[in-house]
Amino acid sequence: MSQSPIFAHDLVRVFGSGDAAVRAVDGVDLDVSAGEIFGFLGPNGAGKSTTVRMLTTLLRPTSGTARVAGYDVVTDADAVRRSIGVALQDAAIDPLMTGRELLRLQATLYSIPRTDGERRSGELLERVGLSAAADRRVGTYSGGMRRRLDLALALIGEPSVLFLDEPTTGLDPMSRISLWEEIRRLNADGTTVLLTTQYLEEADQLADRVAIIDHGRIVREGQPDDLKAEVGAPTLFIDVETSLVGTATSVLGTFGELRPTAEGTLGVGLHDGVGAVSAVVRALDEAGVAVSHLEVRAPSLDDVFAEATGYRLEGADADGAPR
Amino acid sequence: MSSTIAPAWGLAMRSLRNIRRLPSAFVPALMMPLVQVIAFSGTFAGITVVQGFPTDRSVNWYLPLAVTMGSSFAGLGTGFAMIRDLQSGFYDRLRMSPAGRRSLLLGPFIAAWARALIAVVLVLIVGVTLGARPTSWVAIPSLIAVGLGTATLGTGWGIGLAYRFGDMRAAAIMQLTLFLGLFLTDAQTPIDVMRGWLVPVATVNPLSRVLALARQGFIDDGASWATTIWGLITLIAVSTATGMFAMAGLRHLDD
Repeated sequence: MSQSPIFAHDLVRVFGSGDAAVRAVDGVDLDVSAGEIFGFLGPNGAGKSTTVRMLTTLLRPTSGTARVAGYDVVTDADAVRRSIGVALQDAAIDPLMTGRELLRLQATLYSIPRTDGERRSGELLERVGLSAAADRRVGTYSGGMRRRLDLALALIGEPSVLFLDEPTTGLDPMSRISLWEEIRRLNADGTTVLLTTQYLEEADQLADRVAIIDHGRIVREGQPDDLKAEVGAPTLFIDVETSLVGTATSVLGTFGELRPTAEGTLGVGLHDGVGAVSAVVRALDEAGVAVSHLEVRAPSLDDVFAEATGYRLEGADADGAPR
Repeated sequence: MSSTIAPAWGLAMRSLRNIRRLPSAFVPALMMPLVQVIAFSGTFAGITVVQGFPTDRSVNWYLPLAVTMGSSFAGLGTGFAMIRDLQSGFYDRLRMSPAGRRSLLLGPFIAAWARALIAVVLVLIVGVTLGARPTSWVAIPSLIAVGLGTATLGTGWGIGLAYRFGDMRAAAIMQLTLFLGLFLTDAQTPIDVMRGWLVPVATVNPLSRVLALARQGFIDDGASWATTIWGLITLIAVSTATGMFAMAGLRHLDD
């Protein structure tokens, strides 16, 4: 049996029964090495959060096995909980409590002696930049402050494995970058991180390896650069009039395989690389297709995602990834 | 053991702190028994002339009922708080912590006991102000026992339902069942003066024995070992059952 910090084999979670049964997670295999940042990438409803809930002992798997920090998540759940820190997107913070009170409560839940808990709470508040707001009720915090407090709460037990479920969703760019820096610092200190995200740029920036999950199954897994290299050709995106989409599609098909795009845009993976762009434009012109917008992008995780799933991830635009 | 007590105490303190920060979640449950003891003892002041009524002070009859109800609702209050924590996701945070499952259960019980004691004290003060007079020294210990016991059973029932439903359906069931359970007893009048279907129902309803324990220091017949023992046995049995119901509900959350 693997001693990886996070290991899962054929993990399945079914909700409901009979005809109404939904396989939210359908045979997931994971093997995350010590000291790695592992990105778990997928759209809403793909099975990311359900997988994390099983790995963090919140939900019992229907079948399959999972071990975290060397302990089985079902038979040794208490040991798993002692080894992990978790910041779940939907695990709220009590708005009536202050940041300091929450950290002290969390320390109590980890059986940390009172004086040690107070010291550690102070250190963590300092680390996440919340010392000045420590005695304010969390209800008055901004989204970014809550996320930072959430991270501090996850760190109170000095975990060897950290689960971060969409840690930057809804944050402004500055807060997001600040949180990324903190995650990198933690990782540099030796913490293994499993990060779920639907932001491609986040996975690209942070993760040593990524897994793309769709409909409960992992459809791609590897290092971001390797996955992008597998996609190979750069993608040419063009915008044309709706009435000319059919003609444009035929022309583009002669230069490479068509790739999924957002509505109103056509995309083609250029077999002959960027040098083929002028030939494409000429061919479109000869076919009477006027191009209103044209853009070439090197392969990105969005292309990897699109190639693996047949569609592009919602919100990719917001991250500067291709359309 | 300290790994159970310390987290449970921390959770109880959070609950009690939130009484001050969110009074709307506690004050109504506290006002209800106060209003009850005031309204019932005034409205039914004449009931003492009914033959066989065991006290000449109506407030002596209704004060223990108000304590029982107030304490039960102190327990249910933790069930309401549990629904809020489950719906907000805060409870996931607790479940992911290494705190033992026993401490996650014990915390709400400690909070409910404290809330119940507040209710007992305030109802007693109002009752005595309205003329309630104990007839035996066992009055206060009995009220405290019933207060803690009914808070325990209310908590087990309340959080057990919260775990199972996870939303406000649990709140509706909690209140309805507790009202039915308490009013299908000799809550309003002694069984001797009742007529019809309510007589056998109130006779077999175990909560009648709990009310008898609560009242034994306020009625003319005085206290008895039989009333004390049966009352305590009933409280322990029902509290154990609802506690197990809550524990099974917590396990159910993982499924």
